[in-house]
Amino acid sequence: MKKLVYLLLLTTFFAYANEKPTLNVYTYDAFAASWGPAPKVKKAFEKTCNCNINFIGVSSSIATLRKIQLEGKKTKADVLLGLDTAVAQVAKDTKLFSTHDLDTSIIDLPNSYKDDTFVPFDYSYFAFVYDEEKTKKVPKSFEELASMPDDFKIVIQDPRSSTPGLGLLLWVKSVYGDKASDYWKRLAPHILTITKGWSEAYGLFLKGEANMALSYTTSSAYHMVEENKFNIKAAPFKEGHYAQIEVAAIVKSSKQKELGKKFLEFLYSKEFAQLIPTSNWAYPVIKDVKLHESFSKLHLPKEFILMDGKTVQEKRKAIINEWLEAVKK
Amino acid sequence: MSKGLKDLKRFKSSTLLGGTLSLALLSFCFLIFYTLYTAQETNLFTSVDSKIYGLLKFTIFQAFLSTVLSLFVGLLLAWALAHQVKFKGRSILIALFSSSLVLPTLIVVFGIIGIFGRQGYINQISLYLFDTNFGTYLYGLGGILLAHVYLNASFALRSLLHSFEAIPKEKYKLAKSLNFSVLKCFYYVEYPALRPSLLSIASTIFLLCFTSFAVVLLLGGNPSYNTLEVAIYEAVKLDFDIQTALKLALIQLGISFVLVILSSSFKINTTNIKTNSLSSITKNSKTIQILQWFIISLFTLFFISPLIVIFIDGLSANFAKILSDKVFIQAFVTSIIIATLSAIITLIAAIFLSNTRRNFSLDTRLAKYPFSKVLNLFVAFSGNIYLAIPSLVLGLGFFMMYQKYDGSFTLWSSMALLTANVLMSLPFALAVITPAMQKIAKRYDRLSFSLNLSSLRRYKEVELPYLKSSLAYVFTLSFCFSLGDLGIIALFGSDEFITLPWYLYQLMGSYNTNDAAGVALILLVLVLFVFIFIPRIFRSKNA
Repeated sequence: MKKLVYLLLLTTFFAYANEKPTLNVYTYDAFAASWGPAPKVKKAFEKTCNCNINFIGVSSSIATLRKIQLEGKKTKADVLLGLDTAVAQVAKDTKLFSTHDLDTSIIDLPNSYKDDTFVPFDYSYFAFVYDEEKTKKVPKSFEELASMPDDFKIVIQDPRSSTPGLGLLLWVKSVYGDKASDYWKRLAPHILTITKGWSEAYGLFLKGEANMALSYTTSSAYHMVEENKFNIKAAPFKEGHYAQIEVAAIVKSSKQKELGKKFLEFLYSKEFAQLIPTSNWAYPVIKDVKLHESFSKLHLPKEFILMDGKTVQEKRKAIINEWLEAVKK
Repeated sequence: MSKGLKDLKRFKSSTLLGGTLSLALLSFCFLIFYTLYTAQETNLFTSVDSKIYGLLKFTIFQAFLSTVLSLFVGLLLAWALAHQVKFKGRSILIALFSSSLVLPTLIVVFGIIGIFGRQGYINQISLYLFDTNFGTYLYGLGGILLAHVYLNASFALRSLLHSFEAIPKEKYKLAKSLNFSVLKCFYYVEYPALRPSLLSIASTIFLLCFTSFAVVLLLGGNPSYNTLEVAIYEAVKLDFDIQTALKLALIQLGISFVLVILSSSFKINTTNIKTNSLSSITKNSKTIQILQWFIISLFTLFFISPLIVIFIDGLSANFAKILSDKVFIQAFVTSIIIATLSAIITLIAAIFLSNTRRNFSLDTRLAKYPFSKVLNLFVAFSGNIYLAIPSLVLGLGFFMMYQKYDGSFTLWSSMALLTANVLMSLPFALAVITPAMQKIAKRYDRLSFSLNLSSLRRYKEVELPYLKSSLAYVFTLSFCFSLGDLGIIALFGSDEFITLPWYLYQLMGSYNTNDAAGVALILLVLVLFVFIFIPRIFRSKNA
């Protein structure tokens, strides 16, 4: 009997000894998907950390934050990955995230973004994408977009749940200022539908339900590299393009903070940066990363627009309400 | 021993059980209200802004239109069916309309999109025939009304058909001898018979549409077509603006309460969810008959085509893939467990409450004592609190409690879901069981009292054989309601806690059309199978 107890104790000990710590990362579904960056990132990071990393996909980027808020202190999340600078401030105000005190001086972005909580891991520019074969006349500015014929339809994302959705609002606000509401009223007839997240909108666009969808200048690289298709293009807009810097942070209630820190550090390592262009289809945040040749064919906006997080946080509700009022039928 | 004491002793257990339950329900109702009220910080009355006013206006507007249209369609169809009694498949048709009561809203919406959507059959046929289509007309008020009429007109139909069939044939004969036109006959003979139920059906439909959630969420398409329920959901899930959600919930709660009280009858008019009686009415002229046939065919097409679309679209899905999907299996198992549990709890609660109610309403029991009427109403109201507390408000209440107290998210989610499902089915369960138990008591009270049967024995020997089919019906009704509900789960759904409707909603949201069609078909077949076949097994001859 005694032997049996020892044996049992021994097996439990080994079971525990073998158990690697697990890092739960909440992210948007396009990142967590089997065709997204998650599997590659998992493989690369697990080699260095002696741990398991578990990506949990949520319908949209802001939904990841809402999920953590809903679950409160009982959340499983250790790291949140995938918000952008526009909503990072919202997330900081929830006080659910802890500071990282990492040295991020190596990070090199078109504009400087420094934050004690959030670490940037890639960036791109919002753009309307279209299929060259299906859409011949392409708007080259917001003005042209609004004056397209009535059956020209676009799909956009809900700014309350998705970062591209909010990005478009900020983009329009930056271009039109006080006249943004008026512009939205003119654009409203062209909006086929408003989806919760990017994947849904892009899916509708690829199915041919709409002429254009709000996505990124880098989206067409995916079709060139993965599908050898050259017909999906981003429409260059005269007014310039709004930039999106994607960020990640550690959840305060996490029991794996050290591991979380390691993961954040990994996000601006060379190894991760090399994965980004051809898996998340965006630009890496550090210098001297060789981009795939398809990236040379992309439209690189001369003017990029970005509101700082504090301004966004102050005006976000007003901008969203203004939009809600304007797009009402 | 005085007679009063003896009576009290005799009905002590049956009154106490139901009474306690009814008290618990009302306290729960108060607890939800109290939790919501104390959790909000701002002053409710000073901060009703124009946005909320707009929401309210649209919510009432669409509920009003939905009610009028549903009643109109239901009335037309009931009239046509009441006058056409002798055709093959009539009972099947009526049974099919009856099953629309338990069809998951999500499934109905899915089918409606298949017919009327941008890529739906109507557009495709029109494109093929006339080289043009109607474009996008479904999303918005049109779609909401369409789905509401689909769901509620058949509900109205069942009740109205019953009223039509209850009209004595002599009245029709009299109308005929007076040479009344169809309109005159309707006005003088049929309308007076329908009027009492018309009002209660209208108020029920209005309440259901006022708190409509899944339909508006899926077919609203644009923020301007939000109802209060959807706004509550969005405030929590999209904005995490609990304060706004609370404010909306309290407004919703207040209005629902007023509506329930105004409609003054605390019962859902479902006296005849089970329609099987047939009585023939004198025949109309040829033209009128053709009109009736046209109405029946048109609406049958309207009701059946979305279901057929689900079958056709669903069959092409990759079932091997769906059935081996871990998430699907998890959702399936969770749904079945929740549905079974809530059906059992509903059944028990309905028996307790009905048993208590008959004590207060029968002269052989306690009806002659003072306060019986009030107590009866009190118990009746406690069984119908779902009409006053819509599911999203309930969900928000649970969510606030979850934040306040301990326990895992999954535990609170399942509790919230179970409670909502039970409360949702209870009004329907009571509408079936209360009259049945009343009838048994009327018939057998004196006999079983004289034989001095113990309660348990009485249940086994007297009540059960007569109640069996009603109980089976209530069980399946509640099981199916629970299986199809997309209300609270929309607030609590997560990757760990997932039900079939939530899974389907997510598939639809990610435009994963093929898998969604497959899951919709599985859900539809499951619900129809349970609803149509389970009660048949338990059908008894006497009830």
